[in-house]
Amino acid sequence: MKNEKRYTTISIPVQLNEKLKEKISGTGFHSVSSYVIYVLRQLVSSSYEEKKGFTKEDEKRVRDRLKNLDYL
Amino acid sequence: MFIIGLDGATWDIIKPNIDKLPTFKKILSQHDNYTISLQQKPWSASVWCSMFSGKLPEEHNHLDFVKDGEVQTRNDVKVDFIWDILSRNNISVKALNIPFIVPPYNYNIYFNPPGYGVPLTQEELNTEITEITNKIVSVTGDSKPELFIAVYTALDKMSHLHWGGESLIDYYIKIDKAVNKIFELDEKVLILSDHGFTDYDKAPVQTLPKITSTGNELKGDHHPDAIAIAKNIPFKVNQPIDVFNGLISYFNVK
Ligand SMILES: [Zn+2]
Repeated sequence: MKNEKRYTTISIPVQLNEKLKEKISGTGFHSVSSYVIYVLRQLVSSSYEEKKGFTKEDEKRVRDRLKNLDYL
Repeated sequence: MFIIGLDGATWDIIKPNIDKLPTFKKILSQHDNYTISLQQKPWSASVWCSMFSGKLPEEHNHLDFVKDGEVQTRNDVKVDFIWDILSRNNISVKALNIPFIVPPYNYNIYFNPPGYGVPLTQEELNTEITEITNKIVSVTGDSKPELFIAVYTALDKMSHLHWGGESLIDYYIKIDKAVNKIFELDEKVLILSDHGFTDYDKAPVQTLPKITSTGNELKGDHHPDAIAIAKNIPFKVNQPIDVFNGLISYFNVK
């Protein structure tokens, strides 16, 4: 498929690496890298969520709009 | 791979108007295309959820945008979606404006949808089409993920309100132009709808009351025939869950 490089290297302290190794043993994560990527992605996508800042008022607007189509 | 969702798109508008839709005309002549005849209720929340979770409605249990008076959010839907699974396997994935909830869901991408994710006015509908198209072009430009899913909801809303009218055709023309801008951005492209549309009175199952509680008259209702156009897609979508299953085997993950 694509040949361009898809990964880069990031340094973390050795001790942290050891802790993470313990943390993932017996889980579905086969390496510290895949665990770290997973955690960071969660962080990144949850900050997307927060940015959206969906308030109760927004929720009411959504409801009113759905009503227009009788989706509600 | 690139999946483009067109909520509510139907052959019943595309085919009779094909000469006004040059992009559809071209891609239909060049690529596989077929009808997905739903065996589940033609209902956006539940169908998009099945497509990307691989679960039937009775399994995912997410049947509506609102449940017990609460607008449902991602966390209310107790499933792993394809993007969750691919991410765990280090496969890059982004999902834009997926309407199994309102406002539609985004993964690894920020998008502020016009009209709180339920675009109703001409301006909101136009903005949705333009902004989603621009977002797709910019994402595929700088850091193209291995799987990118994006859904336009405008045709569904237009079809409810303007089924049978010329203004609906205008929106198919706008979508045709949008598809023209994005169809060549990937080698593998799958265009899908979650259900079709028909005259309100001809729908095999009426899914909505004819006069809404706010007094609008609905002219169209959902039809169980959805569309699929597939460019180099190594799986066939007979039912919504086949999208998920096809992706799982294409990316070789569990
Ligand atoms: Zn829909």
